[in-house]
Amino acid sequence: MSQKQYWKGLDELNNTDAHKEVVENEFRESLPFDVSDSLLGSTAPRRDFLKYLGFSTAAAILAASCEMPVRRAIPYAIKPEDIVPGVPNYYASTFTDGGDYCAVIIKTRDGRPIKLEGNPKSSITKGGTSARVQASVLNLYDKARLRQPQADGKEASFDAIDRQIKEALTANARPAYILTSSILSPSTKEVIAQFLAKYPGSKHVVADPVSYSGMLMANEASYGKRALPSYHFEKAETIVSLGADFLGTWLSPIEFAKQYSSGRRISAQNLKMSKHYQVESVHSLTGANADHRATCRPSESGAVAVALYNAVVNGTVPSFGSKKLNEVITKAAADLKKGNGLVVSGSNDVSVQTVVNAINDKIGANGTTINWGVASNYKQGIDADMVALVEAMNAGQVGTLIIHGLNPVYEYHDSKKFVDGLAKVPVTVSTADRMDETAQKVKFVIPDHHFLENWGDAEPKTGFFSLQQPGIAPLFKTRAFQDNLMTWAGATGTYADFWKQYWMGKLGSQANFDQTLQEGILEPAAETISGAAFSGNVSDAIAKVSANKVATGMEVVVYQKVAIGHGGAWSNNPWLLEMPDPITKATWDNYAAVSPLRAKELHAELNGQNEVDAKKHVIKVKAGGVEMELPIVVVPGMHNDVVAVALGFGRDAKVGRAAASDATKGGKNAYPFTSFNGQTVMYTAPATVEETGKLYDIAITQTHHSYEGRPVVHEFTAEEFAKNPNALIEERFEEIGKFTALPWSEGKKEEGHKEENAGEMAEKMDEGFRENGTMFPNYDNEPSHQGIHWGMSFDLNSCIGCGACVVGCQAENNISVVGKEHVAKAHEMHWIRIDRYFSGMPEDPDSIQTVFQPMTCQHCDNAPCENVCPVSATNHSSEGLNQMAYNRCIGTKYCANNCPYKVRHFNWMDWNGADCFDDNLYEDGRRDDMNDDLTRMVLNPDVTVRSRGVMEKCSFCVQRLQDGKLNAKKAGRPLIDGEVKTACQQACPTDAITFGNYYDKESAIYKLRQKDQKERLFYVLEQIHTLPNVSYLAKVRNTDEIVAGNEKLDGMMNEHI
Amino acid sequence: MHLKYESFVREPLVDGDKTYRQVTEDIVSPIEKKPGRMWYIGFFFSICLLCFGVFSVFWEVYFGIGVWGINRTIGWGWDITNFVWWVGIGHAGTLISAILLLFRQGWRTGVNRAAEAMTIFAVMCAGQFPIFHMGRVWDGFFVLPYPNTRGPLWPNFNSALLWDVFAISTYFTVSLLFWYSGLIPDFATIRDRAKTKLRKRLYGLASFGWTGTAKNWQRHEALSLVLAGVSTPLVLSVHTIVSFDFATSVIPGWHTTIFPPYFVAGAIFSGFAMVQTLLILVRKILHLEEYVTLGHIEAMNKVIVLTGSIVGVAYLTELFMAWYSGVQYEQAAFQWRIMGPYWWSYWAMMTCNVVSPQFFWIKKLRRNVPFTFIMSIVVNIGMWFERFVIIVTSLYRDYIPGSWAYYSPTWPEVGFYLGTFGLFFTCFFLFAKYFPVIAIAEIKFVLKTSGENYKKKMEVIETKSTEEFVHEQMHAHH
Repeated sequence: MSQKQYWKGLDELNNTDAHKEVVENEFRESLPFDVSDSLLGSTAPRRDFLKYLGFSTAAAILAASCEMPVRRAIPYAIKPEDIVPGVPNYYASTFTDGGDYCAVIIKTRDGRPIKLEGNPKSSITKGGTSARVQASVLNLYDKARLRQPQADGKEASFDAIDRQIKEALTANARPAYILTSSILSPSTKEVIAQFLAKYPGSKHVVADPVSYSGMLMANEASYGKRALPSYHFEKAETIVSLGADFLGTWLSPIEFAKQYSSGRRISAQNLKMSKHYQVESVHSLTGANADHRATCRPSESGAVAVALYNAVVNGTVPSFGSKKLNEVITKAAADLKKGNGLVVSGSNDVSVQTVVNAINDKIGANGTTINWGVASNYKQGIDADMVALVEAMNAGQVGTLIIHGLNPVYEYHDSKKFVDGLAKVPVTVSTADRMDETAQKVKFVIPDHHFLENWGDAEPKTGFFSLQQPGIAPLFKTRAFQDNLMTWAGATGTYADFWKQYWMGKLGSQANFDQTLQEGILEPAAETISGAAFSGNVSDAIAKVSANKVATGMEVVVYQKVAIGHGGAWSNNPWLLEMPDPITKATWDNYAAVSPLRAKELHAELNGQNEVDAKKHVIKVKAGGVEMELPIVVVPGMHNDVVAVALGFGRDAKVGRAAASDATKGGKNAYPFTSFNGQTVMYTAPATVEETGKLYDIAITQTHHSYEGRPVVHEFTAEEFAKNPNALIEERFEEIGKFTALPWSEGKKEEGHKEENAGEMAEKMDEGFRENGTMFPNYDNEPSHQGIHWGMSFDLNSCIGCGACVVGCQAENNISVVGKEHVAKAHEMHWIRIDRYFSGMPEDPDSIQTVFQPMTCQHCDNAPCENVCPVSATNHSSEGLNQMAYNRCIGTKYCANNCPYKVRHFNWMDWNGADCFDDNLYEDGRRDDMNDDLTRMVLNPDVTVRSRGVMEKCSFCVQRLQDGKLNAKKAGRPLIDGEVKTACQQACPTDAITFGNYYDKESAIYKLRQKDQKERLFYVLEQIHTLPNVSYLAKVRNTDEIVAGNEKLDGMMNEHI
Repeated sequence: MHLKYESFVREPLVDGDKTYRQVTEDIVSPIEKKPGRMWYIGFFFSICLLCFGVFSVFWEVYFGIGVWGINRTIGWGWDITNFVWWVGIGHAGTLISAILLLFRQGWRTGVNRAAEAMTIFAVMCAGQFPIFHMGRVWDGFFVLPYPNTRGPLWPNFNSALLWDVFAISTYFTVSLLFWYSGLIPDFATIRDRAKTKLRKRLYGLASFGWTGTAKNWQRHEALSLVLAGVSTPLVLSVHTIVSFDFATSVIPGWHTTIFPPYFVAGAIFSGFAMVQTLLILVRKILHLEEYVTLGHIEAMNKVIVLTGSIVGVAYLTELFMAWYSGVQYEQAAFQWRIMGPYWWSYWAMMTCNVVSPQFFWIKKLRRNVPFTFIMSIVVNIGMWFERFVIIVTSLYRDYIPGSWAYYSPTWPEVGFYLGTFGLFFTCFFLFAKYFPVIAIAEIKFVLKTSGENYKKKMEVIETKSTEEFVHEQMHAHH
């Protein structure tokens, strides 16, 4: 120890007497209490008595009232090297579900995956995601997942099951079948091949819940290969879709949405934009985005393809009953002939797809917009194989059936036959992750890992690989499907080892392997587009199509919802169940979607008065011997003779609490409406409908369909926009121009805005209106424009309304699921919603135009919510954020009332147990698992879980902004544009959301508002001087006429529906 | 002889042959007797309603505001509708006591006590709604500007809701003081007549040792005037500030400068209607027809027809302004009020508030007790709808059509409202039983000038010639 003495001052150094005294009497004041022995005996002074009284009362109150629950946080005994509490780790991985594919990055916090982001390195999905990808992390924590393998409905060990299965496989004379959905994984295919080799005679049958075998077979006939080509919507100038919902559910929607949106990003400098024709029977997400849309009967869809073929080849004018349909086909054919066209069809009919192939061949799409050089592997199932398997099962020719990724008892068109066949198979195995309809009927259930727990890979397109690494060790006693096969085939090691060897073999070195694993992607440098020679028999296909009779009555169409899709585990995902359907905005149920005209006939007329009623008329839909009672949801744009029913509902109780259905909840299973036509499964059927007089509640988030011609949305045709790109600037200036300068200020012209040019107007509106649109001084707007001012912009042209942002936001911001009853009461919590507006004549489905408008907190710089809060719980940050201090909020709801955009959401009930009352957690039987300890592992620790009684709303993902700023600060540099992304922006598959620092002149948001897109820029309700930090870009349709707001054409507006 | 002469054109304010003693007897004896059957039945029902209300509020506080029907778009429903309605009702009392006192309206004496009581109870009822409409009522004290360790963090003085806190609490305090100061001499009267020890003691405490000296009276009068002076601006300010809750917003249908006068007129309108409802019942049950005369009823009906017409003009002005403004959102808001899914509430309001009070132009109907009673209830139904129309039908279809919604109340909301009726009538029944429902001292003050029997004595004077009268007066004191 050092002998050095330190002193505090000269007093101490000299140690004067005065100093000594000071030291001795360091606490010179006596304690405030009289603590002498005589205390109790003495007559305590009154003041002391009051002090004691006060202290003891306060102490007693504190002790009695502050019940502090004991929460245990267990630290790591041995901390893993790469886990730092509070710091997220990211792992590149791959989302697959059947053939659905998305390259993702897993965000893990403290070892738990909490969020998925798109992997921008993928040339296929390019960082885009879908609602399902965003919601898949919740499936990992699904309470309904099986926690151990089952044999005959009882828990069993892997060993016992393996022994029995191995015995059966070796002993049984009858062959084993592996029944799977489409498999993208090359290593899994290898494992299957090894298994098949081990057990000769065994077979691998591939089927898809929603089949594309019509296309596969047509392609085989037309091009000699049973494969799907790669589509390039970004290269197409004319896109014709015959019922293919390629933006929502068809084949690879994320990929196509990315491509599609890049072909539609229009600006005054770049007026090029693809033209999209859609002919369909239902109102799909894709149809809603089309420039020209016509409806046809489902049974007419083949005829439409033929008519298009004839129009392309011979210039024949089609002669359908519908004028609009004829017109659309004629126009489409003319545009297709200009080159760079692309025709896709959602039909599962081989002949129809052959005709479509023929059209694509004639217009030269092969080699330009369709690449036959790179096959898409998304769907590989052949319906006939599946049917043959079921026949074999019933004939007792199947010894062992291993079902993976499929749920035929629920999905197969003839479920009963499958069940009967299953009973005749001695050994049946399912790898379902839950006791789904099939798992309940098989002998062994060996639950597969969730994809976030498993190693794997995918080859979505030939030559394009994507690696899958787990984000967490398996939560339960589950085993990879591949491990099953390897074990039963007697292979040594695990699938993980095999997988590593497989990729080490391909990649050569550990360094390559590490890098590829880190990036998640292994792709060729560039995709070369090549065509293929068409050799299909068109005349035969046309003859076959023409032979199909067109139905006369109603027809039922079975379709997939963007959120739930084919069903599977998605049916039990509360985020997806509560995600409003892009078109109907309905949640939690499926229903009979019918057109307004048909609904009127069924006494369920849609008008401005009854739209608000959650009680919907129930009809009985009969088709092919199947009867179903379904509530009517009226959808403008549906063909008048069509009733559409979504798949994925009507699930068994064991699929999960959210999915469970009965007469009062959970919808109906629409798969029984499907049928096999001898070649492929058909998703439409002639039907009859009748009223039942019953009512059923459907929770719909948006009950008004027309935007009433209000300038909250701006639309132009491409032609109008090209003719006068400044129309919107002029329109805005007409409204607010007067307020951009003070009346007495210099240069102010009398009614002079006509003389000004668009550039000046835009500039004035940008700054002048902020300053002069109010009588109050402006303190926020420092002319220096230094620091950060966050801004967001939604491009209405790019936004396709898919809802990925809604679920992405929900995952990022711990947004509560409220359940059907409260959605019906307009209590939903989504921080971002997509307003969907219809315009046109309700009774004419072909006249309907749809626009999607994402709506979230506008972070107004002059926010109406902020000045009305009595306790300043909502206030403005110096960076332009409208902030919520949850702890300060007392829940007067005044802010929500005064928000012109109605984007503030109140915690009406105790949704998540965050409040301090006992036993008042809201439970409805379906959403309750969200509060299970397991499910809560999905919560983002960076975001407060809001308690009951407080207001919440979009925060621009302030936790991400803060993180980004801190990183920049640590690195000693300014924030780089694009460094922080909001969850919605990141989730968006079409890059419709631009976000950044508006004060940064190099930022995308600044350039977009000031330069590139200033002609399309507008702010919603800017005339009330809320000064929003969220801007919009007007929608430009590549069509003849904008219907919305046109008194002659917009019946929705005139009738206020 | 001191003579206070009042013209015969004015009808008497107290009917019948009354002496001071008789007045005391009439008003105090119900307090001393056991209450009648009707009182017990009424009190029982009030308590039941109150309990149901307490249960409804408990349910809401425990499980959350989500048990109500209000939603994302319509953040205020029955809660604030009822708040404004009750506050409005609470206007008549102070108007009668303060403004009419300052204007020396003698007829106020018969009704002011009950009206003031009604004010206080109504404000108590009103206060429940802003308190329990809060999502986190246990943190409600955040609205109070108290020194704290959070910064200190102050409430937001820009918020009209905060002004409400001050306006309502000030109004309640001043009304309570005013009412109580008027009660002191009357409590002393009861004390002096008391035959049981407990009554003597309690009323003795309540009367603050009033002895009825000249100094007592002088101070009492001075205090009354001061309080009247203080409350007069309050009558106007309270509802003005309540209207600011809406007027300072940006919502079409709310954002309008007409609201303060329109709200005050409406408040007086509904307040007088409520006074009518109560007094017609009280005078019947407690047999006070001679103190609350047809003249009183008619006077109040005149106020009702006046304020009802003002309100009607305000409604039409709103429509005109919506059209004249040229603002499409404003126009649409009124279109949806009149023709939207809530059309019935608008037309209920129009019928009850504007059309029906016009019957009071007819004198016969003004003086018809059953008709007045029915009308008083109709008016308050209409005024309830007015608030509902302003609040709900402005919110439900505002700027962005995508967020338009609808709203229906649920049982806890209705229960809460019924509960405030329970609270109101429980208080009122207790008041009617234990408090002098008519200001004894003030009645006595006007008795000799405006009492029927005293006025009759003046008949003699009326017949005298002027000279004779002057002569008599000159020599009266000699």
